[in-house]
Amino acid sequence: MMQVGPSAFLALAAVLFTLGLYGAVARKSAVMVLMSLELMAVAVNLNLVALSRFITPSEMTGQFFAIFTMVVSAAEIGLGLALVLAIYRQTRTIELSSIDELKG
Amino acid sequence: MAYVALIPLLPALAFAVLAPLSRRARNRMRWLGVGAVGASLALSLVAFSSVWPGGQDADALYHASWPIAQVGGADLSLGLLLDPVSAVMLLVVTIVAVCVQLYSLAYMRDDDRVGWYFGVLTLFTAAMLALVLADNFFMLYMAWEVMGLCSYLLIGFWHEQEAPRRASQKAFLTTRVGDVGFAIALAIIYATVGSFEFTAVLGAAGSWAPGVATAIALLLLFAAMGKSAQVPLHVWLPDAMAGPTPASALIHAATMVAAGVYLVGRALPIFEASGVALSVTMLVGTITALLGGLMAMVQHDIKKVLAYSTISQLGYMFLAIGVGGAVAGTFHLVTHAFFKSLLFLGAGVIIHASHTQDMREMGGLGRHMRWTAVTFGIGALALAGVFPLSGFWSKDEILDAAWNGGHYAVFFLALAAAFVTAFYVARLWFRVFAGPAQTDDLEEGPATMLLPMTVLTVITATIGFAAPAFSSFLGHEGHWPDPLIAISSSAVAFAGLGVGWWVYGRRDAAVDTNMLKERAGLVYTVIERKFYFDDIYEHLIIRPYIWAAEALARFDSEHVDGGVNGVATAWCRVAEAAWWFDVNVVDRMVNEVAHAARVAGSNMRRIQTGGVQVYQRYVLGALVLFMLWIVVKGA
Amino acid sequence: MTETVNGVAFIILAFACIGGAVGMLTTRHVVHAAFWLLEVMVAVGGLYLLLSAEFLAVVQILVYAGAVSVLLLFVIMLTLRSREDAVRPVEISIGGGVLAAVFGVVMYVAIAQYGDHVAQMPAVVPDTAALGELLFSRWALPFEVASLVLLTALVGAVWWSREDDRP
Repeated sequence: MMQVGPSAFLALAAVLFTLGLYGAVARKSAVMVLMSLELMAVAVNLNLVALSRFITPSEMTGQFFAIFTMVVSAAEIGLGLALVLAIYRQTRTIELSSIDELKG
Repeated sequence: MAYVALIPLLPALAFAVLAPLSRRARNRMRWLGVGAVGASLALSLVAFSSVWPGGQDADALYHASWPIAQVGGADLSLGLLLDPVSAVMLLVVTIVAVCVQLYSLAYMRDDDRVGWYFGVLTLFTAAMLALVLADNFFMLYMAWEVMGLCSYLLIGFWHEQEAPRRASQKAFLTTRVGDVGFAIALAIIYATVGSFEFTAVLGAAGSWAPGVATAIALLLLFAAMGKSAQVPLHVWLPDAMAGPTPASALIHAATMVAAGVYLVGRALPIFEASGVALSVTMLVGTITALLGGLMAMVQHDIKKVLAYSTISQLGYMFLAIGVGGAVAGTFHLVTHAFFKSLLFLGAGVIIHASHTQDMREMGGLGRHMRWTAVTFGIGALALAGVFPLSGFWSKDEILDAAWNGGHYAVFFLALAAAFVTAFYVARLWFRVFAGPAQTDDLEEGPATMLLPMTVLTVITATIGFAAPAFSSFLGHEGHWPDPLIAISSSAVAFAGLGVGWWVYGRRDAAVDTNMLKERAGLVYTVIERKFYFDDIYEHLIIRPYIWAAEALARFDSEHVDGGVNGVATAWCRVAEAAWWFDVNVVDRMVNEVAHAARVAGSNMRRIQTGGVQVYQRYVLGALVLFMLWIVVKGA
Repeated sequence: MTETVNGVAFIILAFACIGGAVGMLTTRHVVHAAFWLLEVMVAVGGLYLLLSAEFLAVVQILVYAGAVSVLLLFVIMLTLRSREDAVRPVEISIGGGVLAAVFGVVMYVAIAQYGDHVAQMPAVVPDTAALGELLFSRWALPFEVASLVLLTALVGAVWWSREDDRP
């Protein structure tokens, strides 16, 4: 008999999030950073859905939250990629390390 | 009865349609605003007839509310309340609004932003209708603020020019001072009652501690003073005349400025529970009625005369409420709305024809513009309180209330204000329409402008006889004015008119502006300087404020910036020292350590390069720290 | 019985997820990384199925596997000047590693503290129809707002990625 409790899902989500965190910091390509961000978003969603299933199975609150998170992260990836394109068009590169226009 | 909701909703929808359009499309669609307000008028008539014949039993004939949000334990709701008072207000607002809209079609025809003008005017009407239909203080406050916005937009309609721009800001800021009082009052009301509903709040008013009732009442009064341009917050209204004249007629004469009176009338149980607040209301109203009239006497700008007259008449309404004649005050609100908007529309025709607002450059217009002269004259006589026009009846009711309430001093001051009113009315009419003509190429306004004026004239002339019916409609005993008071007020009115004629209207009277100035030098100067309100505000508030702002800016640039620069310089020195240390000490030590130091150094340098990913690292680092804090705190 | 199956399925999917994520982070080819991400998304969709969130699982596949991955591939294609650009060295970041490690430890402590308050999966689960009903009644307003968010993002994305130079 194997029991799959909420901790298992939380742990999996934590691992995914940690990997995403590492990727967002480590990778230098803007596209790769965006992918890592998606990984983090998906880890959060997994958490929400799992807790919804175990704690509020009939209200499904977490599931609705997950739907809205998905909306936001879909919007985010769309805008992010548009930004990447815009940056690429200006600087002919998507290396984040070469984007240092933010200094005052 | 659900159609009641459509009354404010139709104009609001019209605005929502007009607002996003392009300028040209909006200009073509201006009929939409007129149509929406016209439909509101029709629905208001239906609503009014369903409330008829009013009386006490008809309280809250229609009441509905829709919750829109929950904040804490409170339900914030939009609610509609149709009772005799709101039915009357609906009718007044829609009638005046329709007249003004029709008039504006001709008046604003050549303006290239006419569509926007109609849009804002329609939004304003929607807000005013929502205000009179509101069933709670919260919704009333929202409509109140929307009206303030529309007023701001319309005063500054010709924002290419300096004066309207300044006037709109002045109006917005001055009324906002009062609105702060409203917001605080709302907070106290909610803290005391836990609801914004009129029925709940006003029903409980009697059981409050007197201090609480007084605080709320005074704060509400303060808000009303801002909106209704009462001394000392009246300074914005004369300047507001920089806006288009029909907008002045609707907003700054008939409806929005009366909203303050309406608010005090609605919250009357709170004022009665306080007692003190009622006296303050009376005091403010009396002072304003008198000062406004005096200031109107010496203005040369035809619209400013009317603006000060509006201030004075609004003071009359506050006075009426203060002495316990809320019905009289409300009736004066109704009659004033009609005759004052009539006067403003007339002034618009005059300005349209003579291309000036300065009465010194007018004169003899009556010969060319007979119909305007007649309608304007009827409105002016109503303002002066001449039998049987509407102003006579409502003013008499107020005087009646003051006398019967035992406020004799107030009664005589009100009579004095009536005398002054009659005087400046005579001055206004004779200066504009009588006397030698200054120019001959004058034309009567087009029929589309005269028609709304005619409608308003008919209402002005006849509505006075409805005085007793009005009282009983609002659930009070209706009666005709006391003959003694009627005679004395008529005598005062005719005296004022007579003096005005003697000074300005006689055939052989040299039209000499300096005569008054020479006879009563000091007094004239004081009045002409508008009792120094603007100067006092300029020196006491605006100048010190600007001075303080400049001083702070100086302090900022000299000391704070210096400090920041100093820290930055120090940081640069530290960084340089660290760099030197890095190069000269660390590099010469063990190679591996040097390599590690270089990695650290390059990472450190990246902080100063503004690289995107560095910032991202900060953000994520902060996130991790935050999680750490939560976990540690939870343990 | 079902629990055993769930346990096995969970382990398989969990490994798929973690493996996909690690693969995405370690691969040198950007296109491969996108496909690894796709694999993670599909696996998470499977996890949603385990959690009886069928609707979300379908949405997950549609949105991430369908839309986002294609979008990613398009942008990769548009921003590569040559084939060789797609292959890049695996960057190793000590700072990132430390950050992630600290985060992982914190998460571990947090989950350990949380414990298994609810060990059993509650049996009663509303179906997709119930979800739809709730979505259009109680959550209707947020739902509409979400559509506005998407519209705004759409307009913004179009604006940003326009070809011509703005004045």
